[in-house]
Amino acid sequence: MPLGMNKHGSRSTTSLPPDPTEIVRSKACSRRVKLNVGGLAHEVLWRTLDRLPRTRLGKLRDCNTHDSLMEICDDYNLEENEYFFDRHPGAFTSILNFYRTGKLHMMEEMCALSFSQELDYWGVDEIYLESCCQARYHQKKEQMNEELKREAETLREREGEEFDNTCCAEKRKKLWDLLEKPNSSVAAKILAIISIMFIVLSTIALSLNTLPELQGVDEFGQTTDNPQLAHVEAVCIAWFTMEYLLRFLSSPKKWKFFKGPLNAIDLLAILPYYVTIFLTESNKSVLQFQNVRRVVQIFRIMRILRILKLARHSTGLQSLGFTLRRSYNELGLLILFLAMGIMIFSSLVFFAEKDEDDTKFKSIPASFWWATITMTTVGYGDIYPKTLLGKIVGGLCCIAGVLVIALPIPIIVNNFSEFYKEQKRQEKAIKRREALERAKRNGSIVSMNMKDAFARSIELMDIVVEKNGESIAKKDKVQDNHLSPSRWKWTKRTLSETSSSKSFETKEQGSPEKARSSSSPQHLNVQQLEDMYNKMAKTQSQPNLITKEPGQAGKQKEELEMETLPGPMVPLLATRTDGIVDMRSMSSIDSFISCAAEFPDPARFSHSPLTALPCKGGIGLVQEQGRPEGSGARYGEVNPSSESSHRSAFFIESPKSSIKASNPLKLRSLKVNFMEEDTSTFVPASNVLRTYPDPLKSRGAAAAATDASLLCDRSLMSPETSIYTTASARTPPKSPESQAALAFNFHDAGIHKYIDADTDDEGQLMYDSSPPGNVSPKYSVANSGYLKQKDHVYRTEKNHLEAAALPTSPKLIGQNCIYSMEGITGRTQGNQETVRLENHISPEVHVLPGSGGHANTHDQSI
Amino acid sequence: KMAGDSRFPDVDTDGSEKSEEMEIVVNVGGVRQVFYGDNLNQYPETRLAELVNCLSGGYDSIFSLCDDYDPGKREFYFDRDPDAFKCIIDVYYFGEIHMKKGICPICFKNEMEFWKVDLQFLDDCCKAHLSEKKEELEEIARRVQLILDDLGVDASESRWKKCQKCIWKFLEKPESSYPARVIAVLSFLFILISSVVMCVGTIPDLQVVDAEGNRMEHPTLDSIETACIGWFTVEYVLRLISSPNKLHFALSFMNIVDVLAILPFYVSLTLTHLGAKLMELSNVQQAVQALRIMRIARIFKLARHSSGLQTLTYALKRSFKELGLLLMYLAVGIFVFSALGYTMEQSHPETLFKSIPQSFWWAIITMTTVGYGDIYPKTTLGKLNAAISFLCGVIAIALPIHPIINNFVRYYNKQRVLETAAKHELELMELNSAEGKAAGSRSELEDLSREGKEGPFYSSRIKVSHSDTFIHLLSEEKHHRTRLQSCK
Repeated sequence: MPLGMNKHGSRSTTSLPPDPTEIVRSKACSRRVKLNVGGLAHEVLWRTLDRLPRTRLGKLRDCNTHDSLMEICDDYNLEENEYFFDRHPGAFTSILNFYRTGKLHMMEEMCALSFSQELDYWGVDEIYLESCCQARYHQKKEQMNEELKREAETLREREGEEFDNTCCAEKRKKLWDLLEKPNSSVAAKILAIISIMFIVLSTIALSLNTLPELQGVDEFGQTTDNPQLAHVEAVCIAWFTMEYLLRFLSSPKKWKFFKGPLNAIDLLAILPYYVTIFLTESNKSVLQFQNVRRVVQIFRIMRILRILKLARHSTGLQSLGFTLRRSYNELGLLILFLAMGIMIFSSLVFFAEKDEDDTKFKSIPASFWWATITMTTVGYGDIYPKTLLGKIVGGLCCIAGVLVIALPIPIIVNNFSEFYKEQKRQEKAIKRREALERAKRNGSIVSMNMKDAFARSIELMDIVVEKNGESIAKKDKVQDNHLSPSRWKWTKRTLSETSSSKSFETKEQGSPEKARSSSSPQHLNVQQLEDMYNKMAKTQSQPNLITKEPGQAGKQKEELEMETLPGPMVPLLATRTDGIVDMRSMSSIDSFISCAAEFPDPARFSHSPLTALPCKGGIGLVQEQGRPEGSGARYGEVNPSSESSHRSAFFIESPKSSIKASNPLKLRSLKVNFMEEDTSTFVPASNVLRTYPDPLKSRGAAAAATDASLLCDRSLMSPETSIYTTASARTPPKSPESQAALAFNFHDAGIHKYIDADTDDEGQLMYDSSPPGNVSPKYSVANSGYLKQKDHVYRTEKNHLEAAALPTSPKLIGQNCIYSMEGITGRTQGNQETVRLENHISPEVHVLPGSGGHANTHDQSI
Repeated sequence: KMAGDSRFPDVDTDGSEKSEEMEIVVNVGGVRQVFYGDNLNQYPETRLAELVNCLSGGYDSIFSLCDDYDPGKREFYFDRDPDAFKCIIDVYYFGEIHMKKGICPICFKNEMEFWKVDLQFLDDCCKAHLSEKKEELEEIARRVQLILDDLGVDASESRWKKCQKCIWKFLEKPESSYPARVIAVLSFLFILISSVVMCVGTIPDLQVVDAEGNRMEHPTLDSIETACIGWFTVEYVLRLISSPNKLHFALSFMNIVDVLAILPFYVSLTLTHLGAKLMELSNVQQAVQALRIMRIARIFKLARHSSGLQTLTYALKRSFKELGLLLMYLAVGIFVFSALGYTMEQSHPETLFKSIPQSFWWAIITMTTVGYGDIYPKTTLGKLNAAISFLCGVIAIALPIHPIINNFVRYYNKQRVLETAAKHELELMELNSAEGKAAGSRSELEDLSREGKEGPFYSSRIKVSHSDTFIHLLSEEKHHRTRLQSCK
């Protein structure tokens, strides 16, 4: 690590924390302070911050030691008088304005929930929100809370279904799934359909029973049921009873099951039948047969309730019920309006019509019926006004009825549509969750979470570095201990596996010799490429300007390589989704390969060199996979292949999705946004940054000269890897979190600048030599972004900050480590699954806020 | 350094021509911007233009305008919102200002006031937004004022005044105390009972026949009616006595309804007792009958107890134009289709359409899709006409109704929002008083009225935060964890 890096930029753990006097002096020498929040720089007077001394910013002034400062901000730079906070920049603007003007307003498109979290972070009470924004804020927050609550409820429901306490829990669970979750299996679906058929059948039978032609006459002269229909009825009831009993037996919580509205409906649908049987059988000879009949008739009416059983199978009906429950206020309003209208118009029409001969409007209550039928515009015509006055009243009544009914309905409709949308969304979420679980069972989940992949790759590198000098015999053990995630995937891995695993081995050993012993064509390919890149990198790192031609040659060679292996594998890859998913999941490991093997690619991507790193794992991998087949439209082939990769594609394409705060791609997209917004802030900073490339370049040159040391070799080939090795060498794997974070922060900056230095010539090289045709559309987009970045160097500073968002938050890394550790040490059962569940649920929850930038906070909250 | 400070103003006093081309570097909250003097001088009353002119005035005048000044870079620093500033400087380039999307308009307005840019430069498209917010704020302020009026008890007032206020609160503010709520519920019940009595009284079976063969209301119903009217009268009189502003009270809509609900009873009472002497008995009875219709007014008394009904009246009042439109569409439709129906049915010998005015009724019933069936077309052409008139009726009703509904829904939602906002405002004020600002309700009121016009609460609020805002540094993790637990 060159010493030059410590001089500038943020501090690293290697340098001692600055003296308190130094901090005090730095604070005293300027009236202003620079606050960098999530990449957006603000300048503010110290005096302004003192206005709210008990908030986070207010305390900043009083902190004179390194530790207390680090407690408040995420990073600081005394020379620049700049303090960095790793928070959402948009919300901070409004909060800083609170200090300036004493008025807390809220950005209109800001999500209320995340704004409240930001307020929490900055230590400002939400009560200070101005009235104009407060209403909106509370409305949104309430809505959010409601949604969260609902989400929590469904989660609790799912978690509540635990079958641990009693015997044959597994069977009961299976039964429960079969009966309650029609989506869980084909059998369950068929069962649900049969159930629906029975409901429909019994309803039809019930209706047909009342047809006089089909009814029989018993000995008392009373009509009775048709015997055939009675059989149908009995069969249906038997089915319903069986269903209900089985549900009841298999339910995890009996009382809750009993209380559920849908189950109560089921019970009500069954009971009348049995009660009728009981009554008729027990009272056959008793005298009060007539009374019994009447009771039986009532119970017969209750059979109609079975039509409500359909609600179990229809989301629409459920949402209707929920809507009615939720908008009882508006329904009450509707009924009140109608009641008043009926009252007024019936009395009016009564006074208008009462003197008419043989009028039907005999009294006000009698004309209620007319008013109701008119206001609802049904108009049977059994009563209608005849006098002129009555007709005028009638006309007014029609118009008023139309108005009065139409008014409160939109509010109810709104409630309904909202709930319906939510229901739909939840259904989808559940499906996705199930797919996730399935994927997890298949073992392809690992790279679903980019964060995990990232953390694991770091850890792997730790191991690699630690064990580097040791013997090969030990290496197998290492593999056993730490590479289990990849090992358990090998069972499913197919053709695609060989390449990644082999190259992974290569990586791990760090020696090309071992790898060469493998005869797999893909592997050889990788090997050759690696050599080529070696060459390229070497030539490139010479300070001379002759690099252009060899680089181009190398590029062309690579092209040749790609073309010489034509695409018999294309169909294979396209169809074998599992294999591809597995490949993707290997990205944690393969990111290194791609880093090592594809030197130009990182450069091309490097408009966000660091943030793109983990994602590069995925992409690089895909490339590697795709290389033998020629690399025209790899994305098209791989992305839709399975749910998980589809999801990642989603990440790539939608910058708005806040599914993962730490999702590097999202950060990248965010950053791009900022780039477009701000143009004139960082000019001075760029000057500082520009000084970096030189020492790094020289280092690269030195490395090229030696060319023997493995570490240097790698660092030469790929800046990322080298930094990782050094990073992990410096920070023990389980160092205190904050220190680790600092270290990463620092290294990131370093890497970033290194890449910047590289790209300056590399990029030129690539564009001057007119990149060959294998650049896919996606790439060109990235390239344009990259070009933009090259033009404005100050943006790199932003990149750094954005990138820092990923590794800086210590909790995040710590968690990742935990996850990955658990993933490694054995994916055996339960507890790990729950951890994973948490991990994968979080995106669902975070989708809700719907705004871009601050999912970061959510992740911290995890 | 001092030399630099003193020299700088001198440089600028060289000549006005130089100041025209002079560059001014402004740093607003970390965002640097360079301006040219002549550009800024387009609007000499603005703060930035003053900045140009004050350079000759020396250090003090500079610092009176900006928060910080860096003589080395010749940079003026303002501790303001950079986002709003970026929008506001548009006025120097384009002569008009557009609000950036997302900035709260009130906040933006304050920024404009700080930069001394006149509000007229704000473009019309953004002005609507601002005025909407302002209206909302005024509404909130009015509500808070009302609540405060209720809360504020002045010791200086006379006993009579106090008593008056007490009764007023008792009758008009059901949420103020438990007995008041009981009174409100009782009043509501009386309205219901009297309405039911009015309806039931018309049922022939329950009526009694008096000596002259006329049908009279049942005596028990009559006595119930009298009791209800008695209650209404007492209520109204007490309200009138205790109201602070008698004229305003007497003219308000709800109270007119009250009077209309009571009056018929007393008028008919006087007529039956005194009118017999003045005019014929049959006339008196007719008048009494006519007054009976007026009893319907008591149903409107329900509106006092239902915010939904108030919303309805507000929405109808607001959408007068649309209602007119609806009626006009219907009127045109009725006229056209009844005329058409009449002509087309002429050919049929047993036509039900005897004249155009008679077929108006048919047209109304058809267009509103009621369809009693007392008059219906019999010829093919007439049936065709009926189908078309039905379709047109649906459209004619559906089109203007939408804005009315919109008004209703908006007002309905706003009502709820304003309620929470008023509560919040009160909380804020409580915060202020808790902070120990020596203040009775009077000064709070002043604050409030200023708040309504967006006057700054500033100093006090900032002071408040000393005591009430606390850092969540330590509680943060716990907070998040509990939140997460609640999610699971």
